[in-house]
Amino acid sequence: MSDREAEDKKLQTGNTQRSQQQQPASGLGINAAIGKQLKAYYDDVASEPVPDRFLSLLDALDEAETASKKNDRE
Amino acid sequence: MSAQFDFRKELITIIPNLRAFATSLTGSFDRADDLVQETLVKAWDKQHTFQPGTNMKAWLFTILRNEFYTQMRKKGREVQDVDGIHAMQLAGHPEQQGHLDLQDFRKALEMLPDDQREALILIGASGFSYEEAAEICKCAVGTIKSRVSRARTRIGEILGVEGDGDYGPDSISSQIIGVAPAA
Repeated sequence: MSDREAEDKKLQTGNTQRSQQQQPASGLGINAAIGKQLKAYYDDVASEPVPDRFLSLLDALDEAETASKKNDRE
Repeated sequence: MSAQFDFRKELITIIPNLRAFATSLTGSFDRADDLVQETLVKAWDKQHTFQPGTNMKAWLFTILRNEFYTQMRKKGREVQDVDGIHAMQLAGHPEQQGHLDLQDFRKALEMLPDDQREALILIGASGFSYEEAAEICKCAVGTIKSRVSRARTRIGEILGVEGDGDYGPDSISSQIIGVAPAA
């Protein structure tokens, strides 16, 4: 095995170890950082409980529908 | 009656996602909730067109997105400029450590073209596949992929991470390419 081949082998092994440790190469590092921020940005809103206004709205829609069905029958 | 109840229950579980997506589209919490409200009314009216067993989240995102772009067309572009200012105003207090990064990111996201921002959100945050996102945005899968890719590159540029020590060569690759690792 030439020195160069040995070096390549070391590089490959190094890469495998790094991916197992979740330390991706620099290009992926940027995407991982952006991905993390993106999740934080999204979850900032998505983790909030459902506001009452929407529950009330669905109640009202439900009632309106039930009422109109009742009217249809009568 | 029980099918009706399930629709409502399912709808409620998706509201947090709809609010997050709407916030990313409008850049304003208030306008986002108005948009979600209109989406819920629309979804309720056309619930008979929803096929149980299919992806309700994607169905609702499609309704919300259509509603957003219909409003945008009616109101014209100036609304968006006002909203950009609004988004900056919601950025909060920079002295709150730990929120700094997120505020910077929020601003960077606002600077993206609409189509790139929504593709990035759908794929990177809402958890949709490229195929689902393509269906929601009514475009080709390849278009979504390229928008996401361009969005990531652009955000990297805006945040100045390109060539930055934080994201530069790590110790192993630095040895190989013969430069000192970033401190």
